[in-house]
Amino acid sequence: MDPIRNFCIIAHIDHGKSTLADRLIQRCGAVEAREFRDQILDSMDLERERGITIKANTVSLPYAAKDGRTYELNLIDTPGHVDFSHEVRRSLMSCEGALLVIDASQGVEAQTVANLYLATEFGLEVVPVINKIDLPSADVERVMEEIDRDLGLDPFASIQVSAKLGTGIDELLEAIVQHLPPPKGDPGAPLRALLFDAQYDAYRGAVLQVRLFDGALRAGTRVRFMHSGQEHKVEEVGYQRLKHVPAPELSAGEVGYVLAGVKSLSGLAIGDTLTEAERPAAEPVPGYREAKPVVFSSIYPMATDDYEDLTKALEKLKLNDASLIYEKDSSAALGFGFRCGFLGLLHLDVVQERLEREYDLSLILSAPSVRYRIVKNDDSEVWVDNPTFYPDPASIKEAYEPYIKATIMTPERYLGSVMELCRERRGVETTFNYLAAGRMEVVSQLPLAEVLFDFYDRLKSITQGYGSFDYELLDYRLGDMVKVDILVNGEKVDALSQLVHREFARPRALRYCERLAKTIPRQQFKIAIQGAIGGQIIARTTINPFRKDVTAKCYGGDITRKRKLLEKQKEGKKKMKMVGAVEIPQEAFVAVLRTEDDEDGD
Amino acid sequence: MPSAPGLYLHIPFCSAICPYCDFSVLKAGVPARTRFVEHLVAEVPLAAREWRDSRPFDTVYFGGGTPSLLPPGDLGRVLGACRSHLTLATPAPWVFLEANPEDVTPDACAAWLGLGVRTLSLGVQSFSDEALRFLGRRHSGEQAHAAVETAQAAGFDTVSVDLIFGLPDQAPEAWRRDLATAVALGPGHLSCYQLTIHPRTRFGVAARRGRLAEMPEAEQAALFELTHRFLADAGYAAYEVSNFARTRDHESRHNRKYWDHTPYLGLGPSAHSLATTSGPGTADASGSPAARRWWNELRTPRWESRVAAGDRPVEAEESLGPKTLATEAVMLGLRTTAGIDLDAFAARFGVDLLAANAARVGRLVSEGHLVVRAGADGGRWLVPTASGLAVADGMAAGFELLLAD
Repeated sequence: MDPIRNFCIIAHIDHGKSTLADRLIQRCGAVEAREFRDQILDSMDLERERGITIKANTVSLPYAAKDGRTYELNLIDTPGHVDFSHEVRRSLMSCEGALLVIDASQGVEAQTVANLYLATEFGLEVVPVINKIDLPSADVERVMEEIDRDLGLDPFASIQVSAKLGTGIDELLEAIVQHLPPPKGDPGAPLRALLFDAQYDAYRGAVLQVRLFDGALRAGTRVRFMHSGQEHKVEEVGYQRLKHVPAPELSAGEVGYVLAGVKSLSGLAIGDTLTEAERPAAEPVPGYREAKPVVFSSIYPMATDDYEDLTKALEKLKLNDASLIYEKDSSAALGFGFRCGFLGLLHLDVVQERLEREYDLSLILSAPSVRYRIVKNDDSEVWVDNPTFYPDPASIKEAYEPYIKATIMTPERYLGSVMELCRERRGVETTFNYLAAGRMEVVSQLPLAEVLFDFYDRLKSITQGYGSFDYELLDYRLGDMVKVDILVNGEKVDALSQLVHREFARPRALRYCERLAKTIPRQQFKIAIQGAIGGQIIARTTINPFRKDVTAKCYGGDITRKRKLLEKQKEGKKKMKMVGAVEIPQEAFVAVLRTEDDEDGD
Repeated sequence: MPSAPGLYLHIPFCSAICPYCDFSVLKAGVPARTRFVEHLVAEVPLAAREWRDSRPFDTVYFGGGTPSLLPPGDLGRVLGACRSHLTLATPAPWVFLEANPEDVTPDACAAWLGLGVRTLSLGVQSFSDEALRFLGRRHSGEQAHAAVETAQAAGFDTVSVDLIFGLPDQAPEAWRRDLATAVALGPGHLSCYQLTIHPRTRFGVAARRGRLAEMPEAEQAALFELTHRFLADAGYAAYEVSNFARTRDHESRHNRKYWDHTPYLGLGPSAHSLATTSGPGTADASGSPAARRWWNELRTPRWESRVAAGDRPVEAEESLGPKTLATEAVMLGLRTTAGIDLDAFAARFGVDLLAANAARVGRLVSEGHLVVRAGADGGRWLVPTASGLAVADGMAAGFELLLAD
């Protein structure tokens, strides 16, 4: 067995993580030059465009080191967003070391610190990598000072590279071999393989990415998932080069892929442990946490005709995204759609963008909601994530909402604003710690519902991009929720109903009313737009009617032209949704349901 | 449609091109006008060959342009050609003539009357010199006043006065004065058009450059309302968005045909024609309503060269199926104070317009834009009010017709 190094690359956004990965792959000859595409690991279009990694990918690189030995370098990629922290943790758990990339001009930034803390939490050995040293604005000395002062790492252990030009890559590969520890583990012990990722392949089904902690795995082994209890027979194991390279066996310390006749990703839980059915391990790999959807929203096609296409697109997407859950839903205003559950807001965003981009669909998404626990007067309990099914307030004894523990990293100078943001969002027990000079960690217990609405954007804006944010679900706590309905000319627009804390009901309702007033075209009659809690009106705007739109002349030559205009207008109206004899264009729903605040100042 | 077809003759000449006008018009000297008349006379048999409707034309409308620029003899030649190649009503069709105030003299009136003109429609536009200058007109307020009096005295069945309102910054008072002057002269018919800025006109260019702006909607609405209220008080009943008559007899029996799909034949550049192609009196008696509309070349030179080649100078045509006709019927019906005859509509298209639009009509009724009432024949009519006429376009766009193409 070749000596092994399992490591990941972590970095602040845009510090060059993907380019560095590309260079390592290239230098190890794992890919022919002609096959090479930049940023191979970020395979989805969306990832390329946003510069974030959504799904972790992994690659094994054979490296002939200067000591004459060939090492198996397993580069385990990590997703770059808080919604996927679950997957990040699984990835980090599979490594012994990490390359912490720092931009030579930007220096240490919020996520650099956050990533370092995460890596050390998992006991990883960290090699700082100063990237982009070719840039005229590079200031390596300053960055080395920051590595010492802000990160507490040895600046002289850092490697200077230009991933773009390939400078310093050889030194980096040697550092990986010399400074990162080899994996430990007992090949003779009962099998423990951590499932840290999985991809869907149209021909082969689920491709499981595993890290073996103990034991060995080969074709024919009957394996059991220790958490889900599912059993499968292994058909093939091997190494994840850029292509799958089958191998006779994987053993303790190794990273590789497993095919075991798993048809789709839907039954899989990332973080689960595979063991041998015949000779099971006593304990799974620790740290398992079920990925539960926490954010819910209904997705409707803009054009009702596209419902079938949406159905097919979701089925396909689900094959690739085990965390996405959905079921049929329908709305009087928007027709048939699906109620979906997401890991978080970015996950929601990613699913929406993939549906729109990869499946060419135009969608309307209802306001995101969390899941509430409702105890009724008769002590029965219901879970509600859809305002449509919110019980009659008179029948509710107690309502509980999910709380999170939010951990926010921020430079000290923004501490006041961050504390204020937490307070505004009903945060409790907000505390802060000094991490290093000038850097703070704010910990607050927040209702998840308050994080759904532009919390992350606000945090980024008040900290000028330096703030980073992570959260974990804590518990359910008593809350004072109300269902706010939006009425157009007295008729409820069901897709716009939402559950809100009583304190925020009025401003939220008013914001919805105003946005609708801006996007619904004037009609021949006055349109009243109201926000209501039950029968009580809490917000109101009106759209004044047209008073004059008729053209003066209509004789022989005008009729065809005029009719064509009218037909065009009617065509446009067909795409609108009728509520209370008022045509509401789809854009109105899109505008209202945007979660971010109006920044245009009106 | 029960009524007889109408004949329209387009005379494109003007002594000056008004900055708001987007009709097919041109400035040309006498030789060009004479040549034009030759071609118009030549178009009559070309068109007559394709006109299948055997019913006699009971209206003939000289429009433009400025038909009063042509010598009465030329108008007579054109009428003569029509009489030879088409079936005109006996003893005579009702002839309409559009005239500019500066062309109206007792002699001219006598000549026009001799041709059978029964409605003289005067392009007065305003009685205010300032407004007339802005509108690029050649006459003065005083001339306009005199022209109406001359026409009245000459003995036409109907004298009609065209006025324009909604000039930028026009005060309601100024417009009220124009209305009062017109009403005091007592013509049988008034047309009051809101100034519309068309893109391909001098006003349109000025608007694009930011030197001219259409009146804000609220002020337009106020003037529209003022017009309808003032004229109703003065005894002029609105029968269409922009048209008013002292008695039913003074209503334009020609223009009405455009609004209820009565067939019409248009000759001359840019003229439009409509022929019903199914139903009583046509080859297709299937009963499913259908029609054809076609229009002549817009520009006079091109129109002339096609006529000269012995070719029908048609630029394009379209077929109108039930859905298109129903769309137009709603669009046009909501512009008239008679409104839409719901029973006739149901009989014609097989659609209960009211049932198909119950919620919407309900809203519009409660808003005071529409009423549903029984007609003289006891049938149901959907009728726009004055405020409804002002928003007729928007109302029409909202109707669901439940018809296939």
